Amino acid sequence: MRTKHASWWLAAVATAACLGAEATTLRRMSLEDLADSAHAVVRARCLGSESRAQGGQIWTWTRFEVSEAIKGSVPEHVAVRLIGGRAGKLTATVNGVPRFQDGEEVILFLEPSRGGEWTVTSWAQGTFRIHRERATGRELVTQDTAGLSLFDPATREFQPGGIRRVRMEEFRERLRAVLAQRGAVRR
Amino acid sequence: MIRGPKIGRMRTRMAALLAAVSLMQGVPAHAYAFNQVVADARDIRNNPYTACPAAQRFNTATPGIADRRWSTSLGAAPQTIFTTQDSNPAARLNEIEQSIQTAFSIWTNVSGATLRPASLGLLTRTPTQMACNPFDGINSICLNQPDSGFSTGVLAFTTTVASDILTEQPFPANPPATFTGEILDADVYFNPTDPGSTFATPAALPSRPTSFDFESVLAHELGHFFGFSHSGVWRAMMFPFAPSPGQFLGDRPGPGALDAPLAEDDRTGLRVLYPDPADTVHAGSIRGRIEPANLLSLGGQAGVTGIFGAQVAAVDEITGEVIGATLGGWSCNVPGPAQFDGSYWIERLPVGRSYRVYVEPLDGPVTSASVAGATSALCRNATTDPGWPAQAACTVPIVHTNFVTRSRQ
Repeated sequence: MRTKHASWWLAAVATAACLGAEATTLRRMSLEDLADSAHAVVRARCLGSESRAQGGQIWTWTRFEVSEAIKGSVPEHVAVRLIGGRAGKLTATVNGVPRFQDGEEVILFLEPSRGGEWTVTSWAQGTFRIHRERATGRELVTQDTAGLSLFDPATREFQPGGIRRVRMEEFRERLRAVLAQRGAVRR
Repeated sequence: MIRGPKIGRMRTRMAALLAAVSLMQGVPAHAYAFNQVVADARDIRNNPYTACPAAQRFNTATPGIADRRWSTSLGAAPQTIFTTQDSNPAARLNEIEQSIQTAFSIWTNVSGATLRPASLGLLTRTPTQMACNPFDGINSICLNQPDSGFSTGVLAFTTTVASDILTEQPFPANPPATFTGEILDADVYFNPTDPGSTFATPAALPSRPTSFDFESVLAHELGHFFGFSHSGVWRAMMFPFAPSPGQFLGDRPGPGALDAPLAEDDRTGLRVLYPDPADTVHAGSIRGRIEPANLLSLGGQAGVTGIFGAQVAAVDEITGEVIGATLGGWSCNVPGPAQFDGSYWIERLPVGRSYRVYVEPLDGPVTSASVAGATSALCRNATTDPGWPAQAACTVPIVHTNFVTRSRQ
C-alpha cells in the first residue's frame, strides 16, 4: 500500500514541474489544435524582455530573433506581448503566462496581437523549450505544459500529457506532418 | 506526531551526486506556490528593508478590505456563452451571483486560516462591461470583457497587483500597503472570444455537458485572486487545467463542508498564506535542508550551498494523501536576499499524525527555463533593476535535477 501511494503521488509531485509556467485556466489543445489556431510557428531565440503599463494593463514585451518559420510568414525579429510584469512600484502577476530567458531558444505558436505584435497561442501550451541533452548534445523539445500529466483516478496512473523531451528532428517531422495535412507547411 | 524526513528515499543517478536530506536549524523560507514580491531595496520607505521574497496576499487584519463586484454586462458583445438553469433575466443574474458567492465561500471557510467571510466586503454588481482594471483598486469579476491579453485556449485568468514598497498608496480611495506583497487589486477575466469556451452554472451543467463548470473555473481563479500560484498536486484546486467539460472539480460544497472542493494541499497553503495564530490543530511543521553529498555537484554556482528547485511533499502515512508540498531550495536565515541553501519548510500541518517526506527533483521534462516563472521572482539585482544595491542582490541559480528518488520497497 505504501509503495502504491508513493508511486502515484511522486508522479503527482513531478507534475509541479511547470510551476509558474503552466496555464491559468486552459482548454486542453492538441498539437493539431495549436497548429490550426496559430498564424505562425517559429523557432526563435530570446533577445530580451521589458515591462511597462499600456492601455490599462501591465505588459511584458519579449523580442525574438526568428531562425526558422515553420508555418506562416514572419519578419526576422518579432515582439511577443504577454500580460503581466512590473511597472514602476507595481507588480502585476498573471500565472501561466510564459516568461523567457535571454538567449534561450524556443518554438512558439504565434497569433497576432494588436499593433503588429504577437502573442503566444494558449500561452504555456503554445510554448516549447529547446534544450540540449548533456550526454549527446542532441536538441530536445519540451512543451511548457508537459509536466502536467493526465491522472486517471481509477488506476492512479499518470499518462504523459503534451510534448516532453522529444528530439528536435522528430518534433519538426511531426509538426510538418500536421501542417502538411492542413496545407500550411513552409518548404 | 510529526516525524522527520526520511533520508534514505533518494538514490543517485551518479555516485558523486548522492543527495541527502538533513534536518537543520534556522528559518527556511516559504516555498509554497505563492506569487512572490521582493521589496524595493532602493526606496527609503522600505528602510530597514528585507530582500527576502514575500508572498502576495490580502491584508485580512482589516475586515471587509477585499471589496468585490461583478459585471452583469452579459448581453454586450462579445458575448460569453453562459448557460444558467433559469433563463429569466433577474433569476439568471441571481443564479450566477450564487455561484460567485459559493466560489468565494470555498476559500473563506477553511479552518485555521484568517481569510474568513468577514474579510470580504460586499459583493456588488456593476453594469459596466469593462469593469476589470488593475489600476482602480477595485476587485472585479468580468464575464465578457474583451482583453487583448487573451489568446486562443485561455479560458480565464486573474491579475493581481501588489506593491513592492511599504506605505505605497496607488489607489487614493484605498488604504496604503501595510506589508510588501499586499494585494491591492485583483481582477478575474473570463474569455468571451474563445470559440471553445462556454460556461454553465452548476445547476445548468447537467444539461450542458460540453460547457465548463463556471463555479470550478472561478474557484480556481479565486485561488490566484487570494495569492496562490499553481500546485503540482493533481487533485488540488490550484492544479492548472480546468476539469473536463460537464464536470466539477472536487467534491461539491455542502452546508457542513463549504470548502469541500479543496484538496488538503490547498487548505495547507491557505493556512500558510493567512495563518491563524490561535489555530492549534495545524501547528505542525517539517523543515530541513536538501544537501548533496558532494558540494562539487552543485556546479560551483556562487552562494549556492544546497539543492535548489526540488519539490518536497509531506504525505499522510495512513492515507497517502499529500497534505502539503513545497518547492524547496532557499531560505532567509540571514539578513539580505534569499540564500540558496537547500532549505524547505512545510508548515501548518495537522498535529498528531505521521508523515513521510518525499523529495522529488524537477527532472525529466523539466528544465531550468520551465520553472523560471516560479523562481524568477525570488531575486532582484542590478541587471533586473538599475541601481539595485549589491547587499540586497541575488541571482536565481540553475535548478538541480541530477538526483532521483525512489520509494522503499
